[in-house]
Amino acid sequence: MTVYRGFLAITRRNIHMMILYLIIFLSIAVSVQKAAGGNKSEFEQVSLNIAVIDQDGGELARGLADYLSQYHTLVDLPDDPSIIQDRIFYREVYYVVTIPEDFEKRCLHGDEMLPITKVPGSSSGFYVDQQINTFMNDVRIMESSGFPLSDAVDSVIMHSASKAEVTLIDKNGFGGDQPLHAFMFQYMPYILLSILCYSMSYIMIAFRNQDVKRRMLCSAVPARSQNLQIVLGYATVGLFVYGICTLIPFLMYGKTFINDPNLFYYLLNSFLMTLVALSLSFLIGTLVNSEDVVSAVVNVVSLGMSFLCGVFVDLEILGKGVRTFAKFLPAYWYEIANNLLANNSSPSPAQQISLYTCYGLQLLFAAAILGVALVISRIRQTA
Amino acid sequence: MQSTNLIQIENLVKRYQNLVALDHLSLNIQEGEIFGLLGPNGSGKTTAINCLLALLKYDKGTITIFGKNMTPNSYDIKKQIGVVMQNVAVFEQMSVRENIDYFCGLYVRDKAARQQLVEDAIAFTGLEDFTKMRPKKLSGGLLRRLNIACGIVHKPRLIIMDEPTVAVDPQSRNKILEGIVKLNQQGSTIIYTSHYMEEVEQICTRIAIIDHGRVLAAGTTEELKKMIKTGETITIEAVTLDAPLLAQIRTLPHVFDISYESQILKIRLGTAKHNLIRVLNYLQEKDVSFGRVFSELPTLNDVFLEITGKELRD
Repeated sequence: MTVYRGFLAITRRNIHMMILYLIIFLSIAVSVQKAAGGNKSEFEQVSLNIAVIDQDGGELARGLADYLSQYHTLVDLPDDPSIIQDRIFYREVYYVVTIPEDFEKRCLHGDEMLPITKVPGSSSGFYVDQQINTFMNDVRIMESSGFPLSDAVDSVIMHSASKAEVTLIDKNGFGGDQPLHAFMFQYMPYILLSILCYSMSYIMIAFRNQDVKRRMLCSAVPARSQNLQIVLGYATVGLFVYGICTLIPFLMYGKTFINDPNLFYYLLNSFLMTLVALSLSFLIGTLVNSEDVVSAVVNVVSLGMSFLCGVFVDLEILGKGVRTFAKFLPAYWYEIANNLLANNSSPSPAQQISLYTCYGLQLLFAAAILGVALVISRIRQTA
Repeated sequence: MQSTNLIQIENLVKRYQNLVALDHLSLNIQEGEIFGLLGPNGSGKTTAINCLLALLKYDKGTITIFGKNMTPNSYDIKKQIGVVMQNVAVFEQMSVRENIDYFCGLYVRDKAARQQLVEDAIAFTGLEDFTKMRPKKLSGGLLRRLNIACGIVHKPRLIIMDEPTVAVDPQSRNKILEGIVKLNQQGSTIIYTSHYMEEVEQICTRIAIIDHGRVLAAGTTEELKKMIKTGETITIEAVTLDAPLLAQIRTLPHVFDISYESQILKIRLGTAKHNLIRVLNYLQEKDVSFGRVFSELPTLNDVFLEITGKELRD
């Protein structure tokens, strides 16, 4: 097993690069999952200090003031532009609405806008704008539906106070949210491609060195045995990297991950991606002759595929053209399967067919890439 | 005592389309020899070695090593052969010791035996102080020594060395040549290819001169030198020599070839006593003033020159 031992010895020389990629992977996975997969259900309404200067005194004006008071704190202010400017400048008040005389006629039935003063360019100002528009539109609708103005105003205020309960459908046993380990598996193709393509290509270049190859062919170890030992080396390193990558979610999420009914499917999906990464690394090692070029090629392949196939960016966000192109890349099918697993605890028969299709396509990609690499290798040998 | 033929090559032909690399090459190499394959670049030395090692398919002929036909699957034969290639063939990612151990492991399975062999090879090539270094950090000479250590570590019966001293400084070259002689003394038969005639002359017990894929002559250095007319070459620095005088020099006893170029007169003579005195007396008689004078016994280059009509390094 000398060739096998040599293979592993050369792999050990690249261990620092493997660790570096693992750290990158962990950092990205953990930070993105914290940003994207955090507590989505928690929501806090913003309450501002606002002022309503009522020059009208009518029913509609009082209704608007009551409506706004449900969301914000109403502050008393004199109808003096300089004082209003002053208070807004020091952020004692964020929004001042002046209700003019004949408010109903001018603003509800007419086209006139309500005079307002607010912190320029602020999102809070835009927020109050929306609430005033909602109130006015709702009253307009109620009135045109035949309600008298007082009833319309009361009804809008009453309904605005009622709260609706929103419950996410729990299809995956995680309250409708994606489980945190799904985020980690989403980024796994990048790390598998980076580590395996990088380290395996280096080893391939070392063993493809014409002079070393000739010396090995002169030796007492049959060529077939040498090739088998190299394949065994590939399998060992592949399984090792796969083991490390899948161990991380076990360590980080423990029982949550172990109790996920899709655990086996996650592991199978990432195992198939490992096979793809191994065959791709064999192809790169066959095509690239220089160690200096390996790093650049591996970065282009791993980053390119990751960006195009939804590893870093969700597939839904990607454009239609990009998604169509990504279908010709194996990582796309990995991500489709991963999304399916993340959103469904027990996939339906139709979803299972989709899942197995994704697995089959990854396997086919691995076989096709390996086939191409073997053909190129044979052509080069006979050239 | 009759020596055994360790290697027998008969009528070996190797063609690359229209180019004949080996043209009915035949050789017999006996156990215990340091056999030199001497020839200019492109003469077919490396092709012959590649065929011998079954790295290259040949079109015609037979190769027998240790009495058995050599094929790509002759692992029992390969087990007893050590190879030192022209280019350094080691792993850049491994240290000196790891490289030697790796290539030893391709022949020797037993770990303890291998460890001892690795130590021996390191000591033999003088790499004790560099065992932990990577090949990239080694000088050209040390790298060549590592290349040799990887080839001979399993103490093979037959060692094939294909120009192992190319691009090596004179000091390292001498060490390598001394090592080769030592290996031979320890019982290994050695095939040594080179286009440096001095090296071949220095260490080889028998030599085959090849050109255009054919063996032009084979034998010991003495035997080869006896095959040619040249017994002595006299070189004289002379300022002016006219054509009639050169013609007269040509008629002196045992002279068979002269040349005069850039004020250097070169006279080739057959084996005879007092050649130098006779030539110098003649020049004095003719009142020819001359400077430095050299007299040389024939070299392998003279052998090559007479057989092929061109210099070995042309």
